[in-house]
Amino acid sequence: MGESRRVLFNSLTFVVFFAIVVALHSAPLPWRVKKFNLLIASYLFYAAWNPPFVILLWISTAVDWQVARWIHRSTDAGRRRFFLILSMATNLGILGYFKYGEFLLQNFSTLMESIGITYQAPEWNIILPIGISFYTFQTMAYSLDVYLKRSEPTKSLLDFSLFVTFFPQLVAGPIVRPTQLIPQFAEPKTATAPQFYWGLGLITIGLFEKIVLADSLLAPAADAVFGANGSLAALDAWTGVLAFSGQIFFDFSGYSTIAIGTALCLGFALPNNFLYPYAAIGFSDFWRRWHISLSTWLRDYLYIPIGGNKKGSARTYVNLMITMLLGGLWHGASWTFVVWGGLHGLYLGAERLLRENVPAQEWFKSLWFKIAMGLVTYFLVNITWVFFRSQSFDQAKTMLGSMFGLAPEPQKVIYLNEIIPTVIVIGAMVTTHWLLRLRSMEDVIAVTPKWLIGVIWAIMLFSLVITQGSDSAFIYFQF
Amino acid sequence: MPSSTSNSKPSLARPFDDEIVRRPVPTRPWKGLALTALAATIVLTFGWELYWRAHDHIPGDFKNTPALWAQERRKVEGDATVLIGSSRIFFDTDLDVWEEAIGVRPIQLALEGTSPEPFLANLAADEGFRGTVIVGVAVPLLFTGYVYRDDVLKYVGTESPSQRIDNVLSMQLEKVFAFLDEQTRPKRMWFLTALPLRKGMEQRVDVRKLEVLKADRNTEIWSRLMEDEAYRDLAKYVWAEFLRRQAPPPGPNGEPPPPMPDEAINAVILNMKASINKIRARGGDVAFVRMPYEGVYTAAEDQGFPRERFWDRLVAETDSASVTWHDYRELQGYYLPEWSHLAPREAERYTRALVPILYEQIEKKEAERGANE
Repeated sequence: MGESRRVLFNSLTFVVFFAIVVALHSAPLPWRVKKFNLLIASYLFYAAWNPPFVILLWISTAVDWQVARWIHRSTDAGRRRFFLILSMATNLGILGYFKYGEFLLQNFSTLMESIGITYQAPEWNIILPIGISFYTFQTMAYSLDVYLKRSEPTKSLLDFSLFVTFFPQLVAGPIVRPTQLIPQFAEPKTATAPQFYWGLGLITIGLFEKIVLADSLLAPAADAVFGANGSLAALDAWTGVLAFSGQIFFDFSGYSTIAIGTALCLGFALPNNFLYPYAAIGFSDFWRRWHISLSTWLRDYLYIPIGGNKKGSARTYVNLMITMLLGGLWHGASWTFVVWGGLHGLYLGAERLLRENVPAQEWFKSLWFKIAMGLVTYFLVNITWVFFRSQSFDQAKTMLGSMFGLAPEPQKVIYLNEIIPTVIVIGAMVTTHWLLRLRSMEDVIAVTPKWLIGVIWAIMLFSLVITQGSDSAFIYFQF
Repeated sequence: MPSSTSNSKPSLARPFDDEIVRRPVPTRPWKGLALTALAATIVLTFGWELYWRAHDHIPGDFKNTPALWAQERRKVEGDATVLIGSSRIFFDTDLDVWEEAIGVRPIQLALEGTSPEPFLANLAADEGFRGTVIVGVAVPLLFTGYVYRDDVLKYVGTESPSQRIDNVLSMQLEKVFAFLDEQTRPKRMWFLTALPLRKGMEQRVDVRKLEVLKADRNTEIWSRLMEDEAYRDLAKYVWAEFLRRQAPPPGPNGEPPPPMPDEAINAVILNMKASINKIRARGGDVAFVRMPYEGVYTAAEDQGFPRERFWDRLVAETDSASVTWHDYRELQGYYLPEWSHLAPREAERYTRALVPILYEQIEKKEAERGANE
C-alpha cells in the first residue's frame, strides 16, 4: 500500500487542529456560528491534504442540495427520475473520472487488443481524491432517500453542507445516513463532560489500534510477505495473510473509532462501523459486523432497489452477487477487488443455499459448532483478503499456492520478529472478538474495574508516545 | 417517530428501522480516570526520556525525514551552493566550517545510501536554480544506481500542507525530547532484536544509528561511535556484511564475477552529463568530490570499481572540476571510526582542508572551459 498524502488523525497537525475546533465549539457563540466554524474546519481538514479538491465537495454539495429539492417539488415521475439521474451522474461521474478512469481505459485497451485493434491508452496521471468513495455515497444517499420518499430534503443549506463535509467521518466513514446526522445539526450540541472524556477514550483506542497494532505489530509481516516476489513457505504466506487480516481491521476500525470519538467530543453521535467481525458465524453475520455503514448502504440503495429477495430465488442470488461485485469495485479500480467482492457474493449465496436446504439441527446451537463455523468463516475471509491485498492475480495465485504448500521452491522471507507479534495479536484479536461478540464496548467498560481502565488507558497513551506516530496513512483513505 | 432529514415535518414513508444514533457513555468517573492516565503517561514518558539520554541520545537531533529534506530543498534557488551525494558528503562536511571558509553556506541535500544521479537531474530540471552543485561520489552507489532513499523525491512532489505543518510541529518536539528518534522506536528495536533463526535464514543486518542532524541537515556522526567500542565494531560488522551479501556472485568455477559492462558505465555518465549541461547552460556549475574510506571499503571500491574505468572517466567526460582524497596529502590520514565516515572533529578539519582545494579546482576548470570556447 502506498503512502497517501496525509491529513491524518494520527498526526500532530490534527492534535492542534482538533484542540482549536473543540475550543471554538465550546465557546459561548450562537449555534449557527458554531456550525459555520465546523463547516470551515471541515473544509480546512480536507484542504490540508490537497486544497483544490475542496471544489469536489462543493460540487457534490450544490448538486445534491438542488436536485433533492427539485425531486421533492416535482410530482411527475419522469422529471423525478431525470433529477435523480442528474445527481447520480454527477456523483458517479466524479467518482468514475478520478477513481476508475485509468481502469476503464486499460480495460478498453485490452478489449481492443483482443479483437486485433491496437489502442494505446493515454497516460493517466490523475490523483485520487481521498475519501471520494465515502462522501459521494453519503451525498447520493440524500438524493436517493428523497427520491424513494424515505425522507424530505432539509431546509438548511448549512446543515446539508455540514452533513456532506463533517470532518470526523469525511474521508473514511462511517458513511452516515442523512437521517442519522442532519437532525443532529438542528439543535445546539456540546459534549457533556462524560461524553467528552469517553470521546477522548475512543480516540485513544482508535489511535492505539492504528499506530500500535496495525502499523507497528502487524504491518511488518504483511508488508514483507506481500512485498516478496515468488513462492513462499506456507508459514510465511499464512503469517502474512493473517497479519493483513488484523492490519486491515485495526487500521479501518481504528479510523472509525477515532471518528466516533472525535464527533462525540463535539457532542455528535456517529454509528458503529464494526462489531467484532472476526467472531462472525457465516457471511451474512460477517457483513452485519464488518464495515456496517457500507454494507447497509449497499443493502438499502442497491440490493433492495434491484429487487432484493422479493423476485424469486434465482434473482435473489443474482442480486446478491451484483451487490457484492459492485461492493468489491467500490474498494478500488482493479479486478482483484471485484474478485474479492465476488467471493463474498459466492459465500453469501452458498450460505443462503445451505440455510434453505439443510434442516436446522439441535446441535447447530452448541458452542463447539458455533466456534467451528466461526473459524471456517474466518478462514474463508482470509482467502478473500489474498485478492484484496495482492497487486495482481499472479501474486494472488502464488500466495494461495504458497498457503496450501503447492508452491515450487518456497522461500522464507520473515523472521520470528514478525511471526511472534502476528501470532500473539491475531490470537488475542480473534479471542477478544469471540468473548465480546454479543456485547458492546460500552457494556464492557461499564463493568471493568476503575483501576484497570486507568492502567489500560495509560499504557495505550504511553505506547502512542513511544511509538512516535505512524508510518503510513490509513489504508481506507485510498478508497 | 418517522425518519426525516427535515426537523419540521414527518417523512412520507419509512420502510426502515429508526436510524437515530445513540451513543451511550458508560457511567464511570471519567475526569479522574483521564487525569490519572495522563499523569501516568507523563511520568512514564519522563522516565523514557531519561533512559534514552543516558544512552547518548540528545535533544535537538532531528529526524532525517523526507519532510526535513523537502524543507532544505525549498531553499534551493538562484546561485545557491548545493551538496548532493550519499552519506560520506552528508556526514563528513561541516556546513559551519564551509561557510566560515568562503562565506557561503551550502544547502545539504545528500542522502545516505543513495546515488546522486536522480537528485542532480532534479536540480537540472529546476529552472530557478543556476548555482553550484557539489556532488559527493561514492563510486559503487553512483554506478550501480542504488537509491536507498527513493521516498524523498516522491514526497517532495506530493507534500500536502498538513505534512508541512506536521514537520514544523514535530521539529519543535525534537528540540526538546531526545527519545524522538527512528532508532528508539519499539518497532525498530524489535526489528533489530536477534532471535533464533529459522532454518536456512541468515541473521538480519541493518544499519544502526550513525548520525546526528541539526535543523538544516548539518550532520555529524554520533558520539557513541567514538566512545563505545562494541557499537563501533557492530557498525563495522554491518558494513562488512553488506559488502559480502551485495557482492556479485563468483562464476560457476569460482572465478571472479565479470566486471560491470562499459554500456552500463556509459549510461550513467551520459545521464550525469545531460544534467550537468542543463545546469551549466543556465550559468551554474557542477563539481565532484570523493570522501575518504578505509577498511573493507578499500578493496571493495578500489578493486571493484577501478579509478580509471569509473571516476576518471566521469570527471573527464563531464569536463568537471573534481577532488578526490587520494590525490591530496591534506585530505589523507583522518580518523574514520567505522571505515566510512569521519569523526566529528575530523569532519571539521577535513572540510577546512577540502574547501580551498575544491574552489581552486572549480576556478581552474572554469578558466579552462572559458579558454576552450
